Amino acid sequence: MNRLKNLPTLRIDAERVLSFTYRGKTCQGLEGDTVATALYANGVRVFGRSLKYHRPRGLYSLDGECSNTMMEVDGVPNVRAEATVLASGMTVKPQNIKGSPEFDLMGFMDGLSWAMPAGFYYRVFHKPARIWPAAIKQIRQAAGLGTLSPDFRMKGRFDEIYPAAEVCVIGGGPAGMAAALAAAEQGLRVILLESRPWLGGAFEYRTTADSSGTALFESARELARKVERTAGIRIFTHAPVVGVYTDGQVTAVQRGGADQSFDERYIEIRARSVVAATGCIERPLLFENNERPGIMQTECALRLARTWGILPGSEAVFSIGHDQGLEAAIDLCDLGLKVAVVADTREDGQDALLLDALAQRRIPFLKGWVAQKAHGSRQISSATLSSLNGHFNRELPCDLLVASAGLTPVTGPLTLAEAKLSYDSRTGFFLPNELPAWLYAAGRLLGLAHFEAIAASGRLAGLRAAQRCGAEAAAGIRDCESRLKELPGPVRGSKFVSAPRAGKKAFVCFDEDTTLKNVDQAMDMGFDVPELIKRFTSAGTGPGQGGIPGHNLPLYVNQSGSSPDSQPRPTLTRPPLVPTLMAAYAGAGHAMAKRTPLHELQKADGGRMETVGDWKRARRFSDDVRCRAEITNVRTNVGLLDASTLGKFRLFGPDALKALQRVYVSDMSRMHAGKAKYSAMCNDDGCLTDDGVIVQTGESEYYFTTSTGRAGVTSEWIRYHTRFDNWDFSLVNLTDAYGVINIAGPNARAVLSKVTPAAVDNEAFPYMGYREFDVGGVAVRALRLGFVGELSYELHVPSSWMAGVWGVLTEAGREFGIRNFGLEAQNALRLDKGHIIIGSESEQRTTLHDLGLGFLWHRHKPEARTVGDGALRHTEKQSGRLKLVGLKMEDASAQPPGDGSPIVDKRIRGYVCTARYSVALKEPVGMALVEEGLAAEGSRLAIYEDGCEGRLIYAKVAKKPFYDPEGERLRS
Amino acid sequence: MAFLITCPLCGPRDAYEFRFGGEDKGPRPDPETLSPEAWCDYVHMADSRFGVQKEWWYHRRGCGTWFTIYRDTVKNIEVSSNDREADQ
Amino acid sequence: MKGSSIVMERQSPVHLPGNPGKTKLRDHWPVVLEYADEGPGPWIVDLSHCHRWDIQGRDLAAEAAPGISLPDAPGAVTLPGKMLTGRTGQRQAFLWVFDDKAAAPAGECWTEVTEGTFCLALLGRNVFQITEKLTSLDLGDPKRNAPYLLLGPFSHVTGQMVVLSKDPRNAVVLVAGTRGFAHDMVHAVLAAGEEFGLRPAGESRFLEKFKSLPRPDVPEKTRSAARKTAASDKPKSSGRTRSKIRIGPK
Repeated sequence: MNRLKNLPTLRIDAERVLSFTYRGKTCQGLEGDTVATALYANGVRVFGRSLKYHRPRGLYSLDGECSNTMMEVDGVPNVRAEATVLASGMTVKPQNIKGSPEFDLMGFMDGLSWAMPAGFYYRVFHKPARIWPAAIKQIRQAAGLGTLSPDFRMKGRFDEIYPAAEVCVIGGGPAGMAAALAAAEQGLRVILLESRPWLGGAFEYRTTADSSGTALFESARELARKVERTAGIRIFTHAPVVGVYTDGQVTAVQRGGADQSFDERYIEIRARSVVAATGCIERPLLFENNERPGIMQTECALRLARTWGILPGSEAVFSIGHDQGLEAAIDLCDLGLKVAVVADTREDGQDALLLDALAQRRIPFLKGWVAQKAHGSRQISSATLSSLNGHFNRELPCDLLVASAGLTPVTGPLTLAEAKLSYDSRTGFFLPNELPAWLYAAGRLLGLAHFEAIAASGRLAGLRAAQRCGAEAAAGIRDCESRLKELPGPVRGSKFVSAPRAGKKAFVCFDEDTTLKNVDQAMDMGFDVPELIKRFTSAGTGPGQGGIPGHNLPLYVNQSGSSPDSQPRPTLTRPPLVPTLMAAYAGAGHAMAKRTPLHELQKADGGRMETVGDWKRARRFSDDVRCRAEITNVRTNVGLLDASTLGKFRLFGPDALKALQRVYVSDMSRMHAGKAKYSAMCNDDGCLTDDGVIVQTGESEYYFTTSTGRAGVTSEWIRYHTRFDNWDFSLVNLTDAYGVINIAGPNARAVLSKVTPAAVDNEAFPYMGYREFDVGGVAVRALRLGFVGELSYELHVPSSWMAGVWGVLTEAGREFGIRNFGLEAQNALRLDKGHIIIGSESEQRTTLHDLGLGFLWHRHKPEARTVGDGALRHTEKQSGRLKLVGLKMEDASAQPPGDGSPIVDKRIRGYVCTARYSVALKEPVGMALVEEGLAAEGSRLAIYEDGCEGRLIYAKVAKKPFYDPEGERLRS
Repeated sequence: MAFLITCPLCGPRDAYEFRFGGEDKGPRPDPETLSPEAWCDYVHMADSRFGVQKEWWYHRRGCGTWFTIYRDTVKNIEVSSNDREADQ
Repeated sequence: MKGSSIVMERQSPVHLPGNPGKTKLRDHWPVVLEYADEGPGPWIVDLSHCHRWDIQGRDLAAEAAPGISLPDAPGAVTLPGKMLTGRTGQRQAFLWVFDDKAAAPAGECWTEVTEGTFCLALLGRNVFQITEKLTSLDLGDPKRNAPYLLLGPFSHVTGQMVVLSKDPRNAVVLVAGTRGFAHDMVHAVLAAGEEFGLRPAGESRFLEKFKSLPRPDVPEKTRSAARKTAASDKPKSSGRTRSKIRIGPK
């Protein structure tokens, strides 16, 4: 296609040709094109098919208010072609078609629109109820535009950035630019966010001259250059704002490209003041077939020519309602477009100079006329215009219908900030009448049209924003206010909403195929509030984020008189303001997981690493999910476990003991040197939250451990429960300072004695003992505990030494065939002993008594006000609670039941916590929480496994520990 | 939850840096003197004011301090203690 | 193995890419003094080997740390000699020691936390363009004078950030956090720094910049009343006169 050349407003480079493919065919575009403009330049008019009726859709606006031009680009569905800069080699495909956009096999749906009235989804497909499963299947297939396979992986480089500034300006038109300059002048840091690739806003391409004779686009670009030169202003283009939140938080998603370090990035700003200068979009005109390809808004037609050098058609009809529409007709006529007629919905009030210009070009002009119907099955072939009273009409052939009811303000960011908007009858706009203290509005969105007035209003907002940040701006604000009074104020706007007899195919929302008739149907059914009508008809709930129904919907509903409000009320908007990729919100997407000092060694040994809470841990070391070899090795020989994730803390200070007494249920004043004390922490309901061992290491100093999952909240917990006491104690979290090696098995002592000079025989280092000695020359803390039921030592080694000490132990253990065991093996081993894991054998409602750990609780320390004390007393004899029991399957050769399986008779009586096949006992064992009535030894438990379809399996309550009940092995 | 909370040590920070610790109910009463029902009320029942309330927050992503603020539960923003008095 | 001297090396939680040029073993910890090709910056330096201490107590200045200047206000930082102290709360502060010959502080209030944390330095140009991708905290806050400290999220986990120099071409920012996150943290920092040419540098690069930092003035309450002195009589730096800090043996 021949592009217009030598226009000073062009943003394309005619020398740089880019190749891309569309539906498999190679096409050419120019550098600076968007995917949409490149397709249009290649003659594409039908871009896709609509959601419900599969109506052909084309280029309507250039700012993505509707999903007409959402296409699949490089394998990514639902890409907004209007906003996507063309890159060499792109692959573009249309969406939601069977066949081609021109000959979509689903096109017959349009003829069935009578069968799909407003809200038919809610009312049709479930009567009778049995048709719903089949219906939902069909609806799901028909729903949506782009397609995605379940294993789709988003490609591209995504990032996140949190730039700091005092003032954030949304919108890079003259108002936004003036605001940014005003704030920067005051010495503040300013961020300016602009959704288009360049600054200038609505004036960036207009050739009309202002009172001084300068073309508007030149003034806009001059201002843009000034902004770009100002050091204190950081500009982000290609960055539409997606969210505005309390206390000046603004989010945006910026498109990058091959020459940047990102394809898309998330921007989050916390500013003290925010200026919204988002300008206007156009208000769609409502008439029959108002969304045919070949129909487009004023700005779209003008920018195609002025910015991208593409004459939007050859024979055009204009149906507009504002001076800018006249301006566009004149300019396009001068660029070579044949304008058959300009119909203006206004009876009067047009700019006289513009009327003269129309007359000079002999363009017929109709006052008080409007487009009534567009003809043509896939593209517009002619348009019927009608007088407003419907009496007169005329049909004219055309391949382009420029249709617009006028302007409407972009109030999205204001609505998100919970500003109050109210209808102003002069401008026809929803104007802000109550803004949060940190938000300022400026420019065209207030109804201004004069370039200087817009800039002055921006400057005023910028100065006020700066003042809020502490700048001395009072004098500047006064000057600006008086200047504004001298300049033209808000202009009379368009009220007009719909053409006469518009109904069945006058689309209020293009995305959801909602027509005026649908809105009428909703009102007939009794809906009277635009917000509800919006949801019932789904108008405005599509990817265009309400840009097309916009303010038309509440204005139409208000006109009908069925709304209880005398004044129109705008509908709500929610973030994101423009469709946003999930990957953009994920930003750089770095998963922050914690690694133990042995991570690489464990992996090298074949560890299957998993994310468990904050950490990466080895689940097992072979493909055997039952870990039989690992388990057998611990029971008969010696194994090594990386237990580094355990919480570890140093507690000291004059009131250290008081703090311990507050959170631990035992009497912590009775501790013996060299001995570890096992205790538990409960919450105020007496329910177990954590367990661990405590060692006294000094007169008023302790070293204690917690479970992995609670390590991160222990300081928080202890400080919370002592916040009123003003005690003098200090806590240091040493969880990451020590790695932990658990060496377990009958040969553990033999291995350990090879690597330490200290005495480790049973008398010198008994069960539950605590010692400090060297291993391989490195000072370690050692605890003898018995979680897995064998002789074992827990060695706490300073993290930087861990790998070295691990090496020493594995070397010493080589003659025994020492090997790793992982979390799963540990799980099965401790189960043999009936030892609990918090969260598996306990839940939020499980008290210490329920778990059989009531013996840990020392009831005679009332001054301590131990957390959980009262509840433990109250629940000690309470009935109706679930109790922890051991279980063995009736059939010893059966599979163990799945974790979490309910225990039933006529109702649920409890559930299986954990069950595994015990390698030592050669039968399945488990633990369950069951109602008291089933807790007696020998009780029969009926277990319902997921998917068993009624075939229950049976177990009997058995005494625990199942293995080595006397504890001889761990005390050996 | 994008509002700002003023940490006494770190200054105003994003609410996501903190964990909510509940309404301020004062120092824990002596459980010995309370019936099980009264104790349960202390632990679980909250005023749930429609307006300004005093509450505890923990700076979990920062200095690790427990402190109180006044928050307007209707607007969901932190307010000064003066606003609290006005609200009474 | 029994009672034998240690032959193993300690491991840093931080693994940086690049070719170490000069390394030195300090207390069994291999420290890279210089990388083979450090380039023009910005740089990332592993300082995890430097001793770091937590100090907590009711009256830090008087009882806990005689002889070591701890700042009073939370967020404040002092630079006594080859050390750095920061105040993190009413009853908590930290000490980072960049002098491998300094003796350990004594007293119950001190806990060595070197093993439980990692410590990185970001030096040179574009440092704030890198950090603004990793944290929403305003590290370059124009209202604050370096050095200062921030506690808050860095790459989405809690970190201590110390800004020693805000010079956009020659910044010095230290980041410390929980050891377990070091691997993923380094990955995130290197990714954020890639477009700016972030490269590893050795300890010497950091010490060189650290030594040339202006030392903050002695805190208000210890400054004597202003006296008329001739320019040549003025001491070179009021901070220096207090620098002979004695840390007693353990």
